Amino acid sequence: MAVLNPLSGDGEAPQQYKQPSRKGKKAWRKNVDVSDIQKGLDALNEEIIRGGVIAEKASADLFTIDTVGDASVTKKRTTKALRSDEIIAQRSAVSAVPLRKRPAKTSDGLLPVKRQRKDWVSHAELARLRKVADGEHDSPITVKDASYDIWATPAPDAAPVVKAAVPEEHNFIPAEVKPKPPKTLRHKPISLAASGKSVPAVAKPTGSYSYNPLFDDYAARLQAESDKAVEEEQKRLAHEEADRLKAEATARSAAEADAAEARAEMSEWDEDSAWEGFETEADDDEEGNGKVSARKIAKRKTTVQRNRTKRRKADEGRLKHMAAMKKRDEQVKRIREIAAEVAEREAHRAALVQAKSAAGSDESEEDVGASEVQLRRKKLGRAKLPEGDLELVLPDELEDSLRRLRPEGNLLKDRYRSLLVRGRLEHRRRLPFKKMANVRWTEKWSFKDFRI
Amino acid sequence: MGRLRKKGQAGAAKNYITRTQAVKKLQISLPDFRKLCIWKGIYPREPRNRKKANKSATSTTTFYYTKDIQYLLHEPLIQKFREQKALEKKISRALGRGDVGNAKRLESNATRPETTGKPTYTLDHVIRERYPTFNDALRDLDDCLSMLFLFANLPSTSTVPASMIARCERLCLEFQHYLIVSKSLTKSFLSIKGIYYQANIQGEDVLWLVPYKFNQRIVGDIDFRIMGTFVEFYMTLLGFVNFRLYTSVGLKYPPKFDQAKDEQSAELNAFTLEGQNLVSNGEDGQEQLTNGEAEHQVDPETQAAVDKVVQKLKGAEDEPSAAAAENGAEAEADGEAPSHAIDKFEPAAPGGDVLTQLDYSGSDAANLFANCTFFLSRETPRHPLEFLLRSFGCKRIGWDAVLGEGAFTTDERDPSITHQVVDRPVVQTTAEGEGEGEGEGEGESKGAQDNQTSQKLGPNQRIPGRIYVQPQWVWDSVNDGELKRPDLYAPGAQLPPHLSPFVQPVQGQYDPTVPLEEQETEGEALAESDEEMEDANGGAEAADMDVAGSDAEEDEEDEDEEDDSFGGFDEDEKKEGEQGEEVGSDDDDEAAQRQIELEAELTGRPMKEKPNKAKSKKEEARKALAKKAAEEAEEHERAKGMLSKKKRKLYEQMIYSNNKKSAEAEKLREKRRRIEKQAAKTKGKV
Repeated sequence: MAVLNPLSGDGEAPQQYKQPSRKGKKAWRKNVDVSDIQKGLDALNEEIIRGGVIAEKASADLFTIDTVGDASVTKKRTTKALRSDEIIAQRSAVSAVPLRKRPAKTSDGLLPVKRQRKDWVSHAELARLRKVADGEHDSPITVKDASYDIWATPAPDAAPVVKAAVPEEHNFIPAEVKPKPPKTLRHKPISLAASGKSVPAVAKPTGSYSYNPLFDDYAARLQAESDKAVEEEQKRLAHEEADRLKAEATARSAAEADAAEARAEMSEWDEDSAWEGFETEADDDEEGNGKVSARKIAKRKTTVQRNRTKRRKADEGRLKHMAAMKKRDEQVKRIREIAAEVAEREAHRAALVQAKSAAGSDESEEDVGASEVQLRRKKLGRAKLPEGDLELVLPDELEDSLRRLRPEGNLLKDRYRSLLVRGRLEHRRRLPFKKMANVRWTEKWSFKDFRI
Repeated sequence: MGRLRKKGQAGAAKNYITRTQAVKKLQISLPDFRKLCIWKGIYPREPRNRKKANKSATSTTTFYYTKDIQYLLHEPLIQKFREQKALEKKISRALGRGDVGNAKRLESNATRPETTGKPTYTLDHVIRERYPTFNDALRDLDDCLSMLFLFANLPSTSTVPASMIARCERLCLEFQHYLIVSKSLTKSFLSIKGIYYQANIQGEDVLWLVPYKFNQRIVGDIDFRIMGTFVEFYMTLLGFVNFRLYTSVGLKYPPKFDQAKDEQSAELNAFTLEGQNLVSNGEDGQEQLTNGEAEHQVDPETQAAVDKVVQKLKGAEDEPSAAAAENGAEAEADGEAPSHAIDKFEPAAPGGDVLTQLDYSGSDAANLFANCTFFLSRETPRHPLEFLLRSFGCKRIGWDAVLGEGAFTTDERDPSITHQVVDRPVVQTTAEGEGEGEGEGEGESKGAQDNQTSQKLGPNQRIPGRIYVQPQWVWDSVNDGELKRPDLYAPGAQLPPHLSPFVQPVQGQYDPTVPLEEQETEGEALAESDEEMEDANGGAEAADMDVAGSDAEEDEEDEDEEDDSFGGFDEDEKKEGEQGEEVGSDDDDEAAQRQIELEAELTGRPMKEKPNKAKSKKEEARKALAKKAAEEAEEHERAKGMLSKKKRKLYEQMIYSNNKKSAEAEKLREKRRRIEKQAAKTKGKV
């Protein structure tokens, strides 16, 4: 007797009673009738509950030899027991599973307490382990205090000074070949400045960055910055205006196209109906036929036409070739002059380069820092470079006391941007969180299974 | 017909590798690859033809040199990354099986290198590879210092752990200690972004930016993992640089660090510097940053003399080891003594570019504040001030108790204090009278009430015998290499503008720090003297005799003023002296002329050529100038004719912009001249 029954169904395995044989593949797949086994098991269970399996009990437990006879039998009146008593009397002989929590096993103090589970892992630890498994690990390196002079020893790629004790011909162990760093490793990173010059890590600040600046410096910078801001705003407005105009034009042309289409349909319909001899309003059913006839089908070229084009093309090619040859002949005639010309141009270019380098011999480095430098148009990587902060104290916030100075700009951002501008890194768009799998929540259908 | 070649087998297609390909080749994850690239100095590259390099794929990717990536394969660190990756796989497999205990075991085994015998990895070899010589490292120190000083001032978060911040701070303080000992700090500048410092370390100029305290906002669009990678690298680098620098001045690295003091925010004072050699430890090797706590103050000059004698003695005894045991810094300073003079760069031709002079941190500049005792009020930024004062020779700095541990004195009334740095507004108190007489008693009662700030003096109360200045005084003094006039920087005074010491003066441009006479052009000078002449003449006609010397007076006053504000430049003074002589001779001339004029007036005869002498002289000068200018113009014109068209255009553009600049400068000079004149006049009247 199963105590707990499922709410729906009879709680038994599906079965088929009328299965004639199990020969054949299919027959095995059918559900097997196990009802007799089930019944047997249930009976066994029942017996256990009632105090043990009868078949396993000793005879002495089951039977007594009654030699005297019971005297009370005659006296006893048979009264019908209460139903409640009956139910209570059905108690199982198997004792219930104890639900009480027991204290951990104690010892006498000499032996260590034996813990039940040693490999117990806390939830926090588990969460950490999951993170580690996801690739979030600590830095693989350790930063230690410097305890020796790293530059005192000879360079790592220098050849060993001490020669091996074994002469070359007897030494069959080949010398260890260390990989040489490639020349490309020494190439400078790509500067993102428009001029292509390398940008200094920390730019020398001009007087206008002073907390208590000279008026002229400050005014000049303020003017420059406000000009820049105005220009930007104008650009934005112009862009907006252009967008608006474009949208308008699109809308207009779309409307026009619609109107034209409608007109075409109308006229065709009108024509048709005129041809047919009666006039009605355009009907929806006829719309499909009107459109197809409007398109013009390109005609096939004739052989004559093809030949004509071919001839024309050949003619053009010949003329071009002749012109080129003529030009070449002319050049051959005055080859000396051309050589002189080229040489002069080369010399001129060289002179210009020289002059430029002389003008700014120490200008391999840009003087302005990463925050002010004019950036080139081409990006490094996919994302756009973040804008630098405007590092300017407005005139009404300008204080001449260090105490009241409110620092401008963000140095963290400044450093990061400097790294990007100097080409040490490529900029990446920041992903605030990982892309998650799209989860859809549904309710279990068993919510319908209830019985009142 | 040339040899047929398969596409993508040579050239850009072979030389460049995309990031994805690189990651696949190295068999590490993308974050690990980025880390490795930062440490090893492998930067993204740009092929000339992206299409060729990308094998006609159009996606925008980052490229690297294939050879660089090939070289990365030999990096020992990559082994660590791969191990980590294998471990991750193992752990995730165990977790997937629900075998949490096994996962934990794997993880704990991997993170106990001392028990498992697996090696720990450091960045030492990478440092050596990237900076083959010490000077290479110094050249890249700008970025390193800026970054570490910034991280030392960040609040700790999950991405920036507190241990990293503490290490950054320690390294920075150690570096500052070196600067103080070696006196190699040259300039500093208070900007709106932070404080710039420049030091000259072994001939290399290092410039870095330190943020103001408690100012760092953490914004979203910064990749802290990347920044952290840089910081790890730079921490290792600065550690080695510090070691080298400390040993070069004979100090032991790392210096002793007192955790308890550091927790009391002693900052620089939490460190104890020790001499390198154990032998000399007992005598003078222990160089502690005493902050004036020693029992008796030793006069630095006497000390130097004694040191010299000691060294001589040691030299006589032929004990090189003992000589080496001497305190390194002082020994070095002594050794350099004879070679103090450094050649001065002078422009080869008159009117040439102004050449930057070598900054030499000689004893005079480095000991700028040697004889001063400072007290910092509680509203001043203690850390930068302390660092700056110490690196320019100040030995005794006291500050208010709220500013932290390690002060020479926290008592504002200490009689030994000579300078006090104050940044408080002058309070307008109604009871001004009692401030003087009863100020002290009142102050004490106040101090009792408000002992947290330990302010013991009343508002506006000053202690006689000491100089009160605003913080800018320290910076300006340091940048100019002399103690500036304190009255300009008095509390409540309108401060002079704080100029950037990093801006180099350009020939012909207006420079506010230089007197007018030195920077004006000849034409301007002539025009000015003309005006003065007219003024004088007008004056002579209008008023009487006493206007005679007005010119001279004016000049002298001008000079005085300039002396006051810009005194201390040696060259300036010299030049002014010369000019003074000239002015004197002019005076003589003018007096004589005046005499003649007077005589002529008395006699009623018209004056002859004499009175016009000065004027004619000027005329001549002007003529000569005009002639010279015309000649020069002609010369230029002729030279221009020789140039090609392109060059000529370039040249003309240059001339145009130069003229624009000089016109601007002229305007500024004109303005200054006017202001000076006005000032002189008002002065004269008073």
